[in-house]
Amino acid sequence: MGEKVQGKECVRLALPGDLGPDSLRGEWKVEVHPKEPRVLTFWDTFEWGLWFGGHLLYSSGGVYHLCTRDSGQVRWLGTELCEERAVGKRRFWSDFETEPIRGKLEGMLGLRGLAPVAEGILRCHKWDLRNETGKIVCRLECDTVSAGKRGEKVLRNSCLVIPLLGYETDLARVVECLAQTGAFSSDDGPLEELLRDAGHEPRPYTLRPAFGLEFGMPARDAVTRIVGTILEIARRNVPGILEDLDTEFLHDYRICLRKVRSVLSLIKDVYPPGETRSMRTELGELSRQTNRLRDLDVYLLAKEEYLGLLPPGLRPALDTMFADFSSDRSREVRRTTAKMQSPSSQKLFQEIEGFFSARALHGPAPAADLAVGPLVFLRIYKSYRKIRRLAASIGLDTPDEGVHELRIECKKLRYLLEFFSELVPGKQYASMVKSLRRLQNWLGEFNDASVQQKSLMEYWRRKGSATEVALGLGGLIAILYERQQRTRCNILDALREFCGAANHATFRQSFKLAEPLAAGAVKGHSEP
Amino acid sequence: MKILSSYSIKGGVGKTALAVNLAFALREAGHRTLLLDLDPQGAASFYFRVDSAEKFRMQDTKSLVQGLRRNIRESDFPGLDVIPSNLGYRHFDILLDGMAKRRRQLRKVLEEFKPDYDVILLDCPPNITLLSENVFRASDAILVPVIPTVLSKRTLEQLTGFFQEEELPHQLLRPFFSMVQKRNKMHREIMAELQSQHPGFLKAFIPFSADVEKMGLYRMPLLAYSHTCEAARAYRALCDEILSLPSL
Repeated sequence: MGEKVQGKECVRLALPGDLGPDSLRGEWKVEVHPKEPRVLTFWDTFEWGLWFGGHLLYSSGGVYHLCTRDSGQVRWLGTELCEERAVGKRRFWSDFETEPIRGKLEGMLGLRGLAPVAEGILRCHKWDLRNETGKIVCRLECDTVSAGKRGEKVLRNSCLVIPLLGYETDLARVVECLAQTGAFSSDDGPLEELLRDAGHEPRPYTLRPAFGLEFGMPARDAVTRIVGTILEIARRNVPGILEDLDTEFLHDYRICLRKVRSVLSLIKDVYPPGETRSMRTELGELSRQTNRLRDLDVYLLAKEEYLGLLPPGLRPALDTMFADFSSDRSREVRRTTAKMQSPSSQKLFQEIEGFFSARALHGPAPAADLAVGPLVFLRIYKSYRKIRRLAASIGLDTPDEGVHELRIECKKLRYLLEFFSELVPGKQYASMVKSLRRLQNWLGEFNDASVQQKSLMEYWRRKGSATEVALGLGGLIAILYERQQRTRCNILDALREFCGAANHATFRQSFKLAEPLAAGAVKGHSEP
Repeated sequence: MKILSSYSIKGGVGKTALAVNLAFALREAGHRTLLLDLDPQGAASFYFRVDSAEKFRMQDTKSLVQGLRRNIRESDFPGLDVIPSNLGYRHFDILLDGMAKRRRQLRKVLEEFKPDYDVILLDCPPNITLLSENVFRASDAILVPVIPTVLSKRTLEQLTGFFQEEELPHQLLRPFFSMVQKRNKMHREIMAELQSQHPGFLKAFIPFSADVEKMGLYRMPLLAYSHTCEAARAYRALCDEILSLPSL
């Protein structure tokens, strides 16, 4: 409750209703200095990057203020770190023009865009309390936050009691008087009040949620739970895609759809075969609607990186290409969002959600009632062994397709480990995933370089570009090819570690089940 | 941290008005200021509506520092604190008299407040005592209000004579004209004469003004209630000149 403001022990109190200065008039002469009300708009990302980073950002009167969200809230709006007068729009950290606000936001926002999360009106009154000789002996800063267009809905009155040096006994007496009228201490600031009023609660966002799985639970239940949770995340991302707030909504939406498709193929036979097949087809269809937009996002996000690869003289050669991508993207956003909002797409999504809901009825399937643990462990161990087999054939001159096959198998293993991480002991899980992630990073870089070369060639063929553009494209393709070749060595290094004896032992110990269990996984007797 | 003192052997020359308004102007200029009211009459404390200081034991420098610190009162104007007057300060002389280096103790005491303030301003009683000598040796500048009259001229000469006798650095003395009536011929002549005799005279001067006298009515510095009157502008100009002195 007591915290220092300008070196003084101050007290922040929440007031029940609009207490007004009357409650203090018996002992002090109260002078009220009202201030103009301010409309505050609070901003954050879909992931609440600022909130969970311990900050808040609000704009008022064309100025953005970045504050720390102090616990105790002696400074009710938090401690201001920096501000920027906004001339144009501010959505991404890169839209801000001055330091340190730009740098601070970069870390908390990443690729995410800002959107308003709450709006309210803040009124501040300053009260001076004078003693019988007219000397000010205590100051109060009273803030009121209210919601509604004209601020008609008062949410909270709060006041900061500030002592004057040498008059600390008056502070104690003021606090006592206010407490008698029902004042209490509270850590909530205006943002908390406004969010509560609007029914918003900052929730941590993750693409890797816990599913609450158990080793012995029936496989179908486990898959239903996983898919249901992931589909909910996909659903949460849809408004952001339609609004085109930032590129990460679509990115995450696509990952979710891909994961759902994967889990159906990784844990086979939990639904009747025909149903699984049609679900995979429908998911694929939803995902395909967004392919082109995501490709364009990837190119445009890599713009600075691409340009940085070329000598400065060649960089303008790519201007036309990026301008093309940019206008293609605008068109593609319109097309994709229209498609996603179409009745047929919405019906498709609802069908998928209905299929995986806990209430849905499905016909029998061979693995539906098997314990998920043994089934998954067997699958993980098989996948690991397959990667080891594929690794044996990978060398510096393996065709791209061979490396691609390895990458896909690694992705499957990664998904298996991720979906069922709750069934694997934490320590072993961390070490396995670490070495797998390293391998996947290099495989990803190899694949990106390969795909990008093809896309750039394709762009050149399609556009029949001028010599200058061709020069820029050629330069870029050559650099990407060189990067791809270099990556091969890194892949071989990472493979050596991943397939090495130590990691092999960890996988064997963790996932190779005793014979009866392994048999149970196949036949249907399931106890860990 | 700099120590300034408002000092005159003669009373009623605008010494406290200077201390109060200069303290206000210093704080306006962004300097954390402490006004120490050493005059037992306590006029400066009165202007800031601050009650007399609580009594405290003055045995040695340590107890003096503690007592003064306990008596700091924040004024109504952020950045300006006051240590009000206390009748006990009349015992300063006795206390100082019993100490080694008795003429330099005050500086030592005030140095303790260095972390908290940029300027300490002393409003001194109108006499020459051991406390005054301490003030002279503690100050970075001694501001002496002089009404351009024959009597004031005489007291200024007494003061400069004392500085010579005691071998005090005379450049610390910074007289300035107070309660000036520009239409008064004698004022103009004495001003011209003294300025030529004392090169340390400050250029800014304070005019005689009824606005200044109203300070007792409002119980606040002139600069707080009359921002733009001639006297207020004069105090600000004086403050600017003092801040630009090479010794500060």
